[in-house]
Amino acid sequence: MLLLPACGGGSGSEPLVVFAASSLGEVAPQIEPEATVVLGGSNELAAQLRDGAAAGVFLSASSKPVEELRAAGIVERPIAFASNRLVVVTPPDDRAAASLADLERPGTKVVLGGEGVPVGDYARQALRAAGLERALTRVVSLEADANGVLGKVALGEADAGIVYATDARAARGKVRSFPVPARYQPRIRYYAALVSPGSESARRWLDRLLGEVGRAALRRGGFLQVDS
Amino acid sequence: MTRALPLVLAVALAAVVTFLTLPLLALFLRVPPAELVAQLGDQRAREALVVSLETSLLAHVLILGLGTPAAYLLATGSFRGRTLLVTLLELPLVLPPAVAGLGLLAAFGRTGLLGRELRALGLEIPFTQLAVVVAVCFVASPFYIRGAIAAFQAVDPALPAAARTLGAAPLRVFGRVALPLALGGLGAGSTLAFARGLGEFGATIMFAGSLPGRTQTAPLAIYDALNTDFEVALALGALLVAFSVGILLTTKLLLSWTRSTSPSITLSAPSGSR
Repeated sequence: MLLLPACGGGSGSEPLVVFAASSLGEVAPQIEPEATVVLGGSNELAAQLRDGAAAGVFLSASSKPVEELRAAGIVERPIAFASNRLVVVTPPDDRAAASLADLERPGTKVVLGGEGVPVGDYARQALRAAGLERALTRVVSLEADANGVLGKVALGEADAGIVYATDARAARGKVRSFPVPARYQPRIRYYAALVSPGSESARRWLDRLLGEVGRAALRRGGFLQVDS
Repeated sequence: MTRALPLVLAVALAAVVTFLTLPLLALFLRVPPAELVAQLGDQRAREALVVSLETSLLAHVLILGLGTPAAYLLATGSFRGRTLLVTLLELPLVLPPAVAGLGLLAAFGRTGLLGRELRALGLEIPFTQLAVVVAVCFVASPFYIRGAIAAFQAVDPALPAAARTLGAAPLRVFGRVALPLALGGLGAGSTLAFARGLGEFGATIMFAGSLPGRTQTAPLAIYDALNTDFEVALALGALLVAFSVGILLTTKLLLSWTRSTSPSITLSAPSGSR
C-alpha cells in the first residue's frame, strides 16, 4: 500500500510527508504544494507510523488512533482542527432510502465502515442514538474506509451507506445524499499531531493548516470549524 | 571465471531465499506461538477461517470439475482459434484483482450486464458467499487450467492412441489413460489455484464485500483487524502462512505418493525403453 521507504524522520532537506485520513484528500494537498500527502484509513496510517513510517504530520479522523500514538510517544499532543457531519448516501436512480429510518426496512442493503473505522463507528453511534439498531442487521458489507462505502453505493450494488458530508460532496453526481438529523449527529473531530520529535517543516505545515490557508481550504471542502 | 560462476549462482540463490522467506519468518517472530494458538479461539478469526475454507473448497470443486475437461479439450483438440482461446483464459492471471472485481460487478452485479436476468431468477450475487466463490473461481481457475493444459500436453500421445486402437471409448481413454498420466501436473496446478484462491483479496472485497461470518475471508479479516487490533491481524497472518505451508507440504507428499504407486510409471516406462 505504502511504497515510501522509512528513511529519516523528515529531517533537513527531505520533502515533508503528511499522513492524512482519506476524507481529507481534497484539503490536505492544498496546504503546501511541496509536501507529499499520503492518504489512508486513520488506523492503517497509525499502524504504519507505529512501524516507523517517515511522516512529519498525522491527520486523524477520530481521536482513538492519534491518542494511542500519543500514549506510545510517537506523536506530540493532538489538536482538534475540524469537524464534519454524517449523511446517508443512496444510488442516484434509487429511491430505496429517503430517511434514516428507511435503513431499517427489510431487504435494504446497507454498507457502513467496519468496526474501529471512524466513519463506521460514528455511523453506528448515530443509528443507536436514533434507536435504529435494526438497521445494523441490514448491513451487507463493512468497508475499510468511506471510499469503500461510497463505491458500493455509487455502483448501485448497495441501497444506502453512511459517510461524511464532505465525501458525499466530493462524489456528487454519483450519489444522492441527505443529512443525518442534527440530534443524532455524533461529535466528529479531526485531529492533527506532529510526529515526534517534530521537524521544522512539519511545524510550519501544521501552522498553515491551523491558520488562514487551512481554514479556507477546509471551508471549501465542506468541513466545519471547531470551537476551540 | 569457471570458479566464479558457481559462486555468483550461490549468492543469487541465497539472496532469493532470504528475500522470500524473511518476511514470513519475521511474521512468526513477532507472534509468540502461544498467541497463535490463542487466536484460533478468537471468534472472528475462526469465522473468517471457516468462510475461507468453505468458499475455497466449493470454488475448487467447480474449478477441477469444469477446468479438467476444458483443459483436456484445449490440450488435445485442434481447432481454429485454440491459441486465442487459451490466451483469453489466461487473462485473469495478469489482471489486477481490483479490475477483476470491477469486471465481476459489471457482469453479475445488480446493475450489471446480467443483473436483470439474475434478479428474475431470484439471484442477487454481490454481498453473498456465492460472490466469494465466483471471485475465487475467476482469479484462481486460470492457474489450474494453465497447469492442466501443460500436463495433458506432456502425456505421450502414443499411449492414448494405443488405448484407442485397442477399442477404448474416448471417455475411457480420458479417464483411464490421460488423466492418470497427467495427475502430477494436475496436482501442481490444483495446489497453485487453491493457494491463490485462499489468498484472494481484491476481487472479493469489491464483489462480495466484507461481512464477518458471511463474506469475510481470512485475508479480508486480516485487513479488517488492522483497524481494531494489530496483534490479531499479525496472528491471523501467521496462521494463514502456517496453513498454506500445510497445504503445500500435503500436496507434495501426496504427489510423490501417487507417483510411486500410480500406473503412470508402469505405463510410461515401457514407452521410454521401447
